[in-house]
Amino acid sequence: MARTMIDSFPILSLCLIWPLLGALALLFIKHSDLAKRSALAIALVELLLSVVAVNCFNPEYGGFQLQEDYPWIPGLNIRYQLGVDGISVLFLPMTALLSVMALLASWNSVQHLQRFQLASMLVLESVTIGVFTALDMALFFLFWELTLPPIFFLIGLWGIGPERRHAAMKYTLYMLFGGVPLLFAIIMLAINHAQFAGGFIPQDLAFSLPVLLNTPMAGPSQNLVFLLLILGFAVKAPLLPFHLWLPTAAIEGPAFVSALLVGLKLGVYGIVRFAIPLAPQAAIEHRWTLAILGAVTLIYAALLALQQTNLRRLLAYSSISHVGLVIIGIAAFNLQALQGAVMQLLNFSIVAGSLMLIAGMLQRRLGSTDMLHLGGIAKPMPRLTSLFFLFALSSIGVPGTNGFPAELMMILGSLEAYPALAMVALLGAVLGAAYLLGFVRRAFFGPVVQDAVARLEDLRPRELALLAVPAVLVLLIGFYPQWLSSRQEASLLTWLQRLQPPVLQITHLNPTPQLRGFVAQKGSAI
Amino acid sequence: MAVYVCLIPLLPLLAALLIGGLHFFRVLDGETDEKITARIACAAIGFSVLVALTLLAAALSGQLADAYAYGNWLSSGKLSIGFKLSCASLNLGFAALFSLLLLVVMRFSVNYMHRETGFHRFLFFLNLFAAAMLLLVLSGNAVFTFVGWEIAGVCSYFLIAYAYDRPIAAHNATRAFVTNRVGDGGFILGICLALAWLENADWQTINASAADIDSGDATLLALSFALAAFAKSAQIPFTPWLARAMEGPTPSSAIFYGGAMIHAGVFLLIQLQPLFAQAPLAMLVLTVIGALTAIYSYWVGLSQTDIKSSQIFATSAQLGLMFVECGLGFWTLAAWHLGAHAVVRCYLLLTAPSVLQNTQGQPIKQVAPLLANCRWAFIASLQRGWLEPALDWLLVKPVIQLAKDVRYIDERILESALGAPAPAIKAISSLAQWEEQKMGANLDSSEDSFAQGSGLAGKLAQWTAALLNWFEYHFILRGIGRDSIRIGRRLGKAANRFELLLLQPRYLTLFVLITLMVALGYR
Repeated sequence: MARTMIDSFPILSLCLIWPLLGALALLFIKHSDLAKRSALAIALVELLLSVVAVNCFNPEYGGFQLQEDYPWIPGLNIRYQLGVDGISVLFLPMTALLSVMALLASWNSVQHLQRFQLASMLVLESVTIGVFTALDMALFFLFWELTLPPIFFLIGLWGIGPERRHAAMKYTLYMLFGGVPLLFAIIMLAINHAQFAGGFIPQDLAFSLPVLLNTPMAGPSQNLVFLLLILGFAVKAPLLPFHLWLPTAAIEGPAFVSALLVGLKLGVYGIVRFAIPLAPQAAIEHRWTLAILGAVTLIYAALLALQQTNLRRLLAYSSISHVGLVIIGIAAFNLQALQGAVMQLLNFSIVAGSLMLIAGMLQRRLGSTDMLHLGGIAKPMPRLTSLFFLFALSSIGVPGTNGFPAELMMILGSLEAYPALAMVALLGAVLGAAYLLGFVRRAFFGPVVQDAVARLEDLRPRELALLAVPAVLVLLIGFYPQWLSSRQEASLLTWLQRLQPPVLQITHLNPTPQLRGFVAQKGSAI
Repeated sequence: MAVYVCLIPLLPLLAALLIGGLHFFRVLDGETDEKITARIACAAIGFSVLVALTLLAAALSGQLADAYAYGNWLSSGKLSIGFKLSCASLNLGFAALFSLLLLVVMRFSVNYMHRETGFHRFLFFLNLFAAAMLLLVLSGNAVFTFVGWEIAGVCSYFLIAYAYDRPIAAHNATRAFVTNRVGDGGFILGICLALAWLENADWQTINASAADIDSGDATLLALSFALAAFAKSAQIPFTPWLARAMEGPTPSSAIFYGGAMIHAGVFLLIQLQPLFAQAPLAMLVLTVIGALTAIYSYWVGLSQTDIKSSQIFATSAQLGLMFVECGLGFWTLAAWHLGAHAVVRCYLLLTAPSVLQNTQGQPIKQVAPLLANCRWAFIASLQRGWLEPALDWLLVKPVIQLAKDVRYIDERILESALGAPAPAIKAISSLAQWEEQKMGANLDSSEDSFAQGSGLAGKLAQWTAALLNWFEYHFILRGIGRDSIRIGRRLGKAANRFELLLLQPRYLTLFVLITLMVALGYR
């Protein structure tokens, strides 16, 4: 009874709408200090709400849960449909956590238009939660495109580089470019459903993901949809050759936005959630291409990271390189690699985000994160250095941190699928240690040469507090990864079932209700 | 009773967390708190020694179960990785030996590091290392052996870089860690192969099913673990990192590179004895590499003039001998050699500073006449066989060069091909510029107004038009006869240049590698 009551309570809508309401409320809070505090309170409540959502979620069931479904544009059959499964549910608390951290990191660094900045951050948080929970393709696309304006303003107005406007425009152009193929793919999927159902356009169009998942599609159009979706998501992921916006945004934008950009991997999430399940046969056919794209991205970005002299650019390339490994893992299409990949995506928000925020703290104190202006940071800032090391070791994938189980699972899974690419992944692991520790050697170790470095002040309590939570999470997940992976397993198994030929589904597996429907449809078609 | 085996690595881990946490929050800081830190550290490792000795006695009298499983660390589908500690007398024996050596070194460093600024940091890493090393020898599962293996490596990195304000120390630490990372790749590969083929990475399972798997597969598995062992135990071609590791404080050198960690490679081989027995090729590789290392280290050691260097080359020579023993199948001998060498080398390295103190002013011994009379051999020995420059030339330089090329591609080619049209945006970045444009001072535009676009799509259209225009102008208007030869020649030159670039070693290697990988992938 209690269960149904929780199920009927629209917790996801609340998660979605709460920061938005908070952003509106900020309009009426004139005092900037009070605005800051209330924004933080709103973000903390949002974190609490997302944790409640995770608690309501039943990890043993693989399908979508906590669903809410209302008609939105009935003429086109577009619905307001939200829901989460094991793949997406943990992204909610991670998004909320990263937003709290970003808010805390921007505490003193934003001097003008402060309320607008706080409101933008809250809007961005809300929209990101929307991307992770939307089950209707049109709704998803709306949220996807709505991430653009807040990021545009955040980079353009509060960026720290001289070319911040350019960076903001570059980001916008790239994302708009990525949005076009996505829109085409979504329209194609909807029309395909109308044709399959033998109905009319527009009243038989379908944008709902659970419906579209059960709609079969002809081979050629499936290939096209897959290509379009991958193209759209590759820009945001980012994959080679569409990665150029990220280093620019990381160097020109404020650190708290860069942390959100490298921490929340919406593009890769899109590939897992939409691109592969919606075009399963095409995905199986072209998985080699995807895996090789991932491998090339992995090595290419790692080599570039070796050459970087600026910490923020290095972290941007390191994040791209990690995305490459995750893509190999996803394209392996087996449970281990997938679990590793999704776990790594969650790790990003903790590790990559925190590293970028630490870079921001250095930037704020020294006015630069270039190697030239650093050197010997460990002496005046032992606490910052130890925390940086903790996150860096996790990024390298050292055991004891959360990076290790994820990397192990991904390499294991890809070894089963593509032995050659697993070797590339191992090479990437060596390069990963080389570029991060190579930078650490010159920036954090060595004698203190600059006067500015000698006068540095170590972490303040606020900064310490904001880094403490991710640091504890890094160790916790590293010591007991089962805690995370058990929440994903059922959903990932369901995900994998979709990729298997229907004949195998009947003989091998215990089909879920949705699948049973699919099998029945298939049977009647034959 | 076997359940208490987890105390052996757990106690130092707790001590490390306690010291690290308190030091981070400056509760334990400075000279006054040294005593507390020292007490925590020594008590933890002391109790570990007691537990290890008690359990060893129980194991030797046959009262102990073989292993104790604590639960699942990670499971995924059919596959599960459990936390399991082995209570075999081999594991407990090494645990007892290493914990004893660690206790001695811990006590030694309390005095040796007195009044050093990094006293608490040093003891934190030493405790963490103790936990890692004891986990390494006790783990019944390849994954947890790797956990200990890698954390020990990280501790070694931080202690080589103990005096981090000296650039050399930081450089050597990075070098040592990255070299070891290559070996770690082998270890991860071994674990993944075991998990993929056997669905389990317990040492017992790997060894028990060694006879069942194909001999080629067994060789591959054995060689992956052997690669890890070569890197950790500084065998050729990884030997140079060991000499660099001498940058750390004496007690850490003694326990890492004399007592415990350096022997981890040999321990891994002994642990995997049944697997290697199934892979004769891997045994041969062990023998050859071990023999080469022993000869190389002896020969380089002859010309060393400082005490730590000569000690460390002696260490790698001895380790080479242990690899030879393993390769020839004398596993028990190798195990005893390991234990005896650990004690002796730890002692020798600990006393090195005292030896220096006592022999101050005395002239060092002459170089052996064998080496002194052969100038070529002497120079080669002084240069440590040029092993490191050779590796740099073979591996590091090409990677750096490749990275430079990739950077060029990224910044010059990709950026200009895909980057947003920067000038068009910059033009409106200030109000003044915008006004200037409004007023008609747009002088820099020399193109005609036709097909002028802004934004990516607009530019694309403009470029396409320009390209078509160029094509028409050059080929159709001027006629094919006149220009085609010149253009053809230019194309030929460009192709030649491209080919020259391709023939450079790094691209050739890359090309061969890619071909190999494609072949492997489609196998």
